[in-house]
Amino acid sequence: MLEDLRLRVRSLFHRKAVENDLNDELRFHFEQQVEKLVQSGLPPAEARRQARLAIGTQDEIREEYRDSSGVRFLETLLQDIRFALRMMRKSPGFTAVAILTLALGIGANTAIFSVVDWLILRLPPVAKAEQITTLEAELLSGYYNNGFSYPAFEDIRRQSTAVFSDVAGAMDFQMDGLSIDGNNQPIWTSYVSGNFFQMMGLKPVLGSFIEPTPGKSVDDEPVLVLGYTFWKTHLGGDSRVIGKSVLINGHPVTIIGVAPKGFHGIASLMDVQGYLPLGMGIVTSDAKKDLVVDRKPPVLAIFARLKPRLTAKSVQPVLNVIAQRLSTQYPATDKCKSLFANPLDLFSPGTDPSTSGTLRLVSAVFLILAGLVLILACLNVASLLIARSSAREREMAVRAAVGAGRVRLIRQLLTESLLLALLGCAGGVVLGLLASRSLGSINLNTTIPFVLDFQFDWRVFADAFCVALFTAAVVGIAPALRATRRNLNNLLHERGRTATVARQRTRSALVVVQVGGSLMLLIVAGLFVRSLRNVEHANLGFDPSHVLNFTIDAHEAGYNEVQARDFFQNLLSCVHALPGIETASLAATTPMSYFSFGEELAIEGYQPPSNQQAPAAGYNAVSPGYFETMRIPILSGRGFLDSDSPTSPHVAVINKVMAERYWHGQNPIGRHFANTADPKNPIEVVGVTADSTTTDITSPSAPFVYLPLAQHLQNQTPVTLQLRTSLPLATANREVVDMIHSLSPAMPVSDVQTMIEAIDTLHGPMLFQIAAGLAASLGILGLALAIIGVYGVVSYGASQRTHEIGIRMALGAQRVQILKMIFGQGFFIVSGGTLLGVLAAAAIARLVGNFLVGVSPLDAITYLGAVFILTTVALLACYIPARRAMKVDPMVALRYE
Amino acid sequence: MTGKRIDLPQGTLDLLILRTVALEPQHGWAISERIHQISSKVLQVQQGSLYPALHRLERRGWIKSRWGASENNRRAKYYELTFSGRKQLEAEKTEWEKLTAAVAQVLESA
Repeated sequence: MLEDLRLRVRSLFHRKAVENDLNDELRFHFEQQVEKLVQSGLPPAEARRQARLAIGTQDEIREEYRDSSGVRFLETLLQDIRFALRMMRKSPGFTAVAILTLALGIGANTAIFSVVDWLILRLPPVAKAEQITTLEAELLSGYYNNGFSYPAFEDIRRQSTAVFSDVAGAMDFQMDGLSIDGNNQPIWTSYVSGNFFQMMGLKPVLGSFIEPTPGKSVDDEPVLVLGYTFWKTHLGGDSRVIGKSVLINGHPVTIIGVAPKGFHGIASLMDVQGYLPLGMGIVTSDAKKDLVVDRKPPVLAIFARLKPRLTAKSVQPVLNVIAQRLSTQYPATDKCKSLFANPLDLFSPGTDPSTSGTLRLVSAVFLILAGLVLILACLNVASLLIARSSAREREMAVRAAVGAGRVRLIRQLLTESLLLALLGCAGGVVLGLLASRSLGSINLNTTIPFVLDFQFDWRVFADAFCVALFTAAVVGIAPALRATRRNLNNLLHERGRTATVARQRTRSALVVVQVGGSLMLLIVAGLFVRSLRNVEHANLGFDPSHVLNFTIDAHEAGYNEVQARDFFQNLLSCVHALPGIETASLAATTPMSYFSFGEELAIEGYQPPSNQQAPAAGYNAVSPGYFETMRIPILSGRGFLDSDSPTSPHVAVINKVMAERYWHGQNPIGRHFANTADPKNPIEVVGVTADSTTTDITSPSAPFVYLPLAQHLQNQTPVTLQLRTSLPLATANREVVDMIHSLSPAMPVSDVQTMIEAIDTLHGPMLFQIAAGLAASLGILGLALAIIGVYGVVSYGASQRTHEIGIRMALGAQRVQILKMIFGQGFFIVSGGTLLGVLAAAAIARLVGNFLVGVSPLDAITYLGAVFILTTVALLACYIPARRAMKVDPMVALRYE
Repeated sequence: MTGKRIDLPQGTLDLLILRTVALEPQHGWAISERIHQISSKVLQVQQGSLYPALHRLERRGWIKSRWGASENNRRAKYYELTFSGRKQLEAEKTEWEKLTAAVAQVLESA
């Protein structure tokens, strides 16, 4: 077998040598034969003649040899390819349309798949990623929580050894100050338990990883592991950084290693730039002093590796027991319905299951739509090829008549259609790459290092390629089969006009499906685009225009809580003094940003219904002046005052939804509620605001609480300074940043942007923009394909009937009647397709209904608009062949052929 | 082209070639001569079937070829039996004997 292959390959690539060998061998044989005959007494000339006769023609041997050694196959292939290229040159229009159609279909698919892959499917590059799960607690309120306290983490780790081979914890992403050789820069870090890297089964690119410190309750070696991207971009990929001593928030640590390329941390779309041991969190931040013993703060995400052959579902009973045990042991802090282990592939932006559900659904819809575009593209190419096949039947017949074998003909046609498919795929690769690249360069409006890593996906490309290849193959063979099956004689004398009705029907049906599919794409695209417009003009409940944001991190500058509070007080009064500033205020987070807070609440005089839903609300901590800056109207009571200090009674302003939900129309002012994590500290409601969009643009207003920043300063998270001003961003930027630095030279200022930019996040309109953009391009694609399809089928039908039209006109038919005749077919196709498309769109739109803002999935305007556009364009496509048909000269048509 | 020629049954030529090169490496012409000689000039192998057969056997890995100098110092391609060729020859010989015995039996009993 191997020998065979070697010889074949040699025949292919060393053809000359092989042929020469053969010639030499045969010549030797011939000469030996001559010699033998000469020795037997024949004169040389006669001997030569006899030998030649005896040997017969040597060409046959050569032919046979080539055939058997696979050279022939290649020769034929080259011949076929040459011929196919010639055919393509002869009909450049057809070729261009077919190739472009396939390229668009394949390109759209690969691009969309790469996005979906990034959002949902791709697992992080860790060893046996499918075994890794992340733990989540379902609270009594029905909310899910994936943050755990350190003691809870230790308890779970100890009690779950039967089902998990290892359990690691990682603190939330936070921004620290890194000082290398006196240069300060922010670094996004994650504090991880000592076994984190070991559990992930990663190998460092350089140096070593954090390891568990034996004999310690919590690992606290002063070491730092750098993320690969950070090391490359910020430190120039210098290998000498290993062993270097640097400062994190002013505390010395040693860089010991670099994480592998492509590992961005786990379970988030952000790129972790540095990893430190958990215990270092106590050292570098003053707020986590009691990290090891405090069961309250949910600081850790927990990752657990399933033991072999176990699944996330199969370990549920064990988790139920653990959850039960923790709830009874620590009812005040650890009470929960149950614990769940989620496979990593469920992760997607937003830890909120509802968001990820929506994303999954929308992704699925887009994949379906993209698949549809590909199918439409294939249908299109199919109908184009079929249309051409009848034109080529005569050619085939002629070739068969002069002795081309059936297999040979099929092979040639197959070569032609495969070549089309190949070229289409090449175009698809280019388009797919371009699209992936342009999607990857989206500006997310934040300095948070997001990972936008859309990899061009070869898997889906291979799939699309196979579909295209299959189409080309099946459709390409058809004419060859027909041509070779028929009685040649008939075919050669046949007139082209007796094109079979059956085939016309098949093509019409194909195009009906095409038009339907295109209409569906158009409608869905229209819904998304309208939805986006609604989002852009949505009533946010606050006014983002003329508001500028500056994010300040006092914690990173090394301030403790008291110092930070003084600094902010000082800053606000100085900013107010600047010219052109209307109002200024501080907030812990901005609407739709990547930071949001939520708490379970105990509400005075409110009994949760029997289904155990504890009340909960999102919250933001803001300074006085916030409601003026954001222009959120206060409906009753008051906003915050400077007198709301850490020492005065704790107060809150709530939104209208919350007032209605928990106080049922009674006046909530003066009533109290408390955070369930801190029940001894009642908070008094002093004001009610109108509802506004808070965490996520798609979620309807939920109960929301505003707390005074002075009473709830969480020093690890940066604070945003917000100004309402008519000054341009650049001017204000210079003045404000200068002023901040005059107050505190080392204070990091980041995310300087307008409020409009700030809300354009993955929680804001951004996903809608991406979705609407994708939908619109798919819609336009579908429309283009439908036009090509309709035009193709109608003009082909008309050309087939030239003869008939000629007769009709000779018998006195009017032009209008001819026009009607041709339009009739187009009209039938378009109306059938419209019906199909509307039904399909209604079905798909239902699926994405909750992703549509302010548009019903059955929005009449969108539907009618799409139908109108499609029918107009399709009927225009019919007009061209119809006009051509009207111009038929009866005499010519009858003499024709 | 004198004398009677027996057309070789399918597969027999392969067996004869393998048999011929089993003793020592031979070039094509010598193989055809040998077969002609051994078969008392009954079997005449045509060039048109000899060389394709040689190449076929080579591709199956039963014989291998190399260029060498012939008796009269010309460049000639020599074929020799490989290990698997030897096994094949044994198998074919057994097959052949069985077949001929069976045919002979049928003829005698008729």
